[in-house]
Amino acid sequence: MTFRIGIDVGGTFTDFLLVDGAGQSRVFKVLSTPQDPSEAVLTGLREMAAAYDRSLDDFIDAVTLIVHGTTVTTNAVLTGNTANTGLLTTRGFRDALQMRRGVREVPYDNKYLAPVPIVPRHLRLPITERIDHDGNVVDDIDVKDIEEAAAALEGSGVEAIAICFMHSYANPDHERTAGEAIRQAIPDAYVSTSAEVLPQVRFYERTSTTVLNVAVGPILGRYIGNLTRKLDDCGFAGVLLIMQSNGGVTSPAVVKTLAATTLLSGPAAAPAAGLAYASLHGVDDFVTVDMGGTSFDAALIKDGQPEITTHGTVNRFALALPSMEINTVGAGGGSIAWIDDGGLLRMGPQSAGADPGPVCYGRGGTNPTCSDANLTLGYLSAGYFAGGRMPLDAERARHAIETRIAKPLGMDAVEAAAGMYHLMNVNMASAIQEISVKKGWDPRDFLMVCAGGAGPVHAAMIARELEMTRILIPKESSIFCAAGMLRSDLKHDFVRSLNTVLDRDRLGATALSGPVAEMEAEGKARLSHEGVADERIGFKHAIDLRYAGQYHEVSVEVPADAVHGFDEQRIRDTFHAAHNRLYGYDLADEGAAIEVISLRVTATGLTEKPPLIEEPRRSAQPDESADKGRRPVYLPEAKAFRDVAVYDGDRLAHGNRVTGPAIIEQVNTTVFVPTGFAVACDAYGSFLMTDEAAA
Amino acid sequence: MTGQPAIDPILASVLQRRLKSITEEMGLTLLRTTRSPILNEARDFVTGLYDAKGRMLEQTEYIPVLAFALQPACEHIIEYFGDDIHDGDVILHNDVFSGGNQNNDVAVFKPVFHDGRLIAWSACKGHQADIGGAVAGGYNPEAREVWQEAFRIPPVKVIEAGKRRDDVWNLIFANVRLKMVEEDIKAQIGGSVVGERGVKALAARYGVERFLTHVDYLFETAETMVRKEIEAIPDGIYDGESQAFYDGVRDGSVMTCKLRVTVSGDTVTFDFTGSSPQTPGFVNAPYSATASALMLTFLMLINPDIPHNDGITRPINIVNPEGSYLNAAYPAATTFGNTLTGPTSDAIFRAFAQAMPHMVTAAWNRQMGAAVTGNDPRNDDEKFVDILFLALKGGSGATRGADGYDHIGLINCAGGILAQDYEMFEIHNPFFLRQHEYLPDSAGAGRWRGGLGVETEFVMNGNEQTAIAFGDGIVEDARAFGLFGAGNGSLNIMEFRQPDGTTRTPRSKEIVRDLPPGTVFHQQAGGGGGYGDPFERPAELVAEDVLHGILTVDSARTDYGVIIDPKSLTLDVSATEQTRRNRS
Repeated sequence: MTFRIGIDVGGTFTDFLLVDGAGQSRVFKVLSTPQDPSEAVLTGLREMAAAYDRSLDDFIDAVTLIVHGTTVTTNAVLTGNTANTGLLTTRGFRDALQMRRGVREVPYDNKYLAPVPIVPRHLRLPITERIDHDGNVVDDIDVKDIEEAAAALEGSGVEAIAICFMHSYANPDHERTAGEAIRQAIPDAYVSTSAEVLPQVRFYERTSTTVLNVAVGPILGRYIGNLTRKLDDCGFAGVLLIMQSNGGVTSPAVVKTLAATTLLSGPAAAPAAGLAYASLHGVDDFVTVDMGGTSFDAALIKDGQPEITTHGTVNRFALALPSMEINTVGAGGGSIAWIDDGGLLRMGPQSAGADPGPVCYGRGGTNPTCSDANLTLGYLSAGYFAGGRMPLDAERARHAIETRIAKPLGMDAVEAAAGMYHLMNVNMASAIQEISVKKGWDPRDFLMVCAGGAGPVHAAMIARELEMTRILIPKESSIFCAAGMLRSDLKHDFVRSLNTVLDRDRLGATALSGPVAEMEAEGKARLSHEGVADERIGFKHAIDLRYAGQYHEVSVEVPADAVHGFDEQRIRDTFHAAHNRLYGYDLADEGAAIEVISLRVTATGLTEKPPLIEEPRRSAQPDESADKGRRPVYLPEAKAFRDVAVYDGDRLAHGNRVTGPAIIEQVNTTVFVPTGFAVACDAYGSFLMTDEAAA
Repeated sequence: MTGQPAIDPILASVLQRRLKSITEEMGLTLLRTTRSPILNEARDFVTGLYDAKGRMLEQTEYIPVLAFALQPACEHIIEYFGDDIHDGDVILHNDVFSGGNQNNDVAVFKPVFHDGRLIAWSACKGHQADIGGAVAGGYNPEAREVWQEAFRIPPVKVIEAGKRRDDVWNLIFANVRLKMVEEDIKAQIGGSVVGERGVKALAARYGVERFLTHVDYLFETAETMVRKEIEAIPDGIYDGESQAFYDGVRDGSVMTCKLRVTVSGDTVTFDFTGSSPQTPGFVNAPYSATASALMLTFLMLINPDIPHNDGITRPINIVNPEGSYLNAAYPAATTFGNTLTGPTSDAIFRAFAQAMPHMVTAAWNRQMGAAVTGNDPRNDDEKFVDILFLALKGGSGATRGADGYDHIGLINCAGGILAQDYEMFEIHNPFFLRQHEYLPDSAGAGRWRGGLGVETEFVMNGNEQTAIAFGDGIVEDARAFGLFGAGNGSLNIMEFRQPDGTTRTPRSKEIVRDLPPGTVFHQQAGGGGGYGDPFERPAELVAEDVLHGILTVDSARTDYGVIIDPKSLTLDVSATEQTRRNRS
């Protein structure tokens, strides 16, 4: 028997999905250990070993793969505990990082402060040198400046150094010179040049990304060192892979040099997980939603492709490396209900978090939360939360809602709780609109894949807000990202900036294939190094294009032959179509000039996915063992409690059908099936919920 | 109010969220479908929903200066058309003498009907790339009347009961230089349709009476919030004054804003009586521009979380007699009106410094901008135009508990307009940047210091180059002032160093023609004013600013009484204590 393990370190829990060679899976959850997250990883491994009656060493021997998502880098930036970092930059431009192009995100709050720059000004050192946008050297690099800078940074105890010069994407020579000199002068420092990290036009974004990379580099290095040492100690001989923000995984050796690729990796495995479950139903257009304790993440997948963005931010600093486009809003089980000065009910974005948590946890929380409302309305069961391991205090929750919300609003506790529930659903529906309507997609054409412990209580009513009619609740919904990690491929992104007019005659037939072939070779080398066989390596190509005169480009995917052969017409057509979808118009008829800003290659190494076990089909009627009786549950359309059937979700079988109103309870989640909805259990243990009233 | 039986407070919360979401979707529609970078890049537009009487239900503004510029026009349109408003009408408007705030800001209004009854208005207003007049783009320091600035559009139906009036439509766009503007107005109509659809759906879902009652309730809740904020301000009369400099016509001209703020219980009155008469040039504001300036500044003084609807303006009275440069009478030129937000906000901050010292902000650096046009020799002498946002963004004023915001730019936009990316700036324009960095010693000294200004220098390599300078803040009295013993911010400086060695320094409003290739543009955008006694600023923070090179050792000593060793840049604690103690 062999095992594969997906490990997702969250703020409160560290989630594990264990899959054996036959495809049987088990879920484990342990409390996270923020000081050293690898502690919780080890605790989880011990629990798993115990569950199989094995010693840790025996168990580890059988583990062939661990895929690990870590938030150590993200937390370092958010808490200001990054490495002591320096920056060498072109003379005259040392403040670009701190300026952030002069944005203040909150217009009317004059007490709103700018974030503290990751590199303080006295460690941002100007170097005399200059290259123009065509890559021509205007001023030679002054080697003496570099020597002085190296001495100054070493004297300040800097352990990480970013080097970012103007237009280095067009000519990296000066950065290379500076990089070599610095690496020689301070051999222990973690050094990146911007052309190594992201050879792409836009100075602030490139500087910020490079600085983020080096500022978390030493931290990630130490963490991975720690983790691999612990795994080695118990004899782990399998493969360890790390989750990246782009939704792919990579080896520890590679991620150590590109540490910033982990910065937005927290929710990045969700689309891969969604794809695995949705494809079983022949669906490749879907929205994944993941509702946890403090936040709600939504992502859209069209034709099996997640949307990718290069406009990420971490603590308000730009991170331009490709990452999954995921909309995160402050809505979760812990979202606090409050009444504003005008007397209106609001939900969040403040959250009671895990500590003290919602009132019903009985850990000292006094602010009524979304979970308290769900309990008051009967969606959650006081005795079966976390499978009964964590009793909830319904009376206390109701009392908090009564005094803090219901009384001031002049209503009873149930009405207030129903209002809280409703407002949460409206807020989450808005978050889905952001990633669908805003991008030119109609949410009604998409399946909702719902995850997170708190999600399935709300899924149906969120769907109704958006007139979405189909919801898939995966078997492993509560540890969705850990499941996604085991289904992610190795993935590396490359970019080259061209900044020229799209014109085959002028540029020559090989203008695109040259840089693209170079990037493919780099990708192949990196994947080979990670042990991927040639036949499992694939490439995707994209070009960032815009109409001449525009300020923002659109990244469009193009087939390999179109880019290698420079099929200008096909590239144009693809761009016009993408522009039309996004912005409602195109300039195809006007024959407008198009500019190529950047070329992109994504190199993918297919991993071996755990098999999914198909259960035999049973009758539509659930087995008696799944019947948990009835209990009163608040039905929104009736505005009243009704006794509804309650099912044990872990005992429902393939083919079973449950019609609303009903409740389906599982150890880590609860599904609310409102009137008009019906649930079908699929062959893989997931629930497909359909709005039959709308159909 | 909560006792009224007909009100479901939950529905009110839900409606507010939905109305907000509709205006956001209208905004996204504009971002997606407009062509001008002023709209889809600088986001110089507002989308809003209004009730049948023209009262604001909800809106989404990306740039504060437009925040309160739609409601007056909506009210005017309702009065103008009276009963003659029908389902399917679309009304166009830009006229600054009937509720508009700036000629280039053209609004589209669409009435929303439910069962034959007018229940609301959906509107989008955006800054058009051109709207006729003597110069492309509309900023014309040489204008003396509105007609040299723009084609006037008083309320006019371009679509009547669903049918486009081609004669009217063509008349308007025959007077506009750019085809793009016609497309952008179509996009605004599209945005208004999105709003109309959203409101209709709400009325259908909840019933129109219920919808309207709850909308009234939303007004009341916002009004309650603002009244609570005003009640917290001590009753009294607070005067504030400020000057704007040079009207573009008369050398040495000064326009004075005389403001009397009267706080009485839960209402506040802003009285501009006695402000300078309107000017012969374009340095004039229409009523709506001044009202918008006032509201955006006032919102910076109170809880920033209050929903934006009609309720928030109810406790606020504005007295602004016609004929002054802050409410110019027909047919004045007024394109500079939005830029007067800077000096007008100064007067407001000065007045409130007496009333609510804990919330007031010191003065922000005033905008001094330039738009440069020319031909790009790299590109067959194709025309280029750039508004030099990166160079004009100075610092904001400090407030209690917070230093000013560095490089934020004009108060009208409050950090909503971004500086150009350096590399894109050079790719787009025939310019070569030499410097863009914080300007040392630009921030007003204080317990909390002002925001830093920036220094910009680049070589202009285009042909036929012209710069249109528009702004203020280049004469001594226009410095961003500090409050409560703090220092002032530095001044703006703009100059063109020509290859022959001569330097041209434009007035604050001037068209600078024939700038040869090789001319070096140099600008300092000044810092914001400080707040509180600089000698009370913790010496470590002063030392940190010196270490960071944004404050000189000399200024640390003279302005802050902080002694720093010029070699090691370390703080001399005992010398500092002595210096600070010895101040008489």
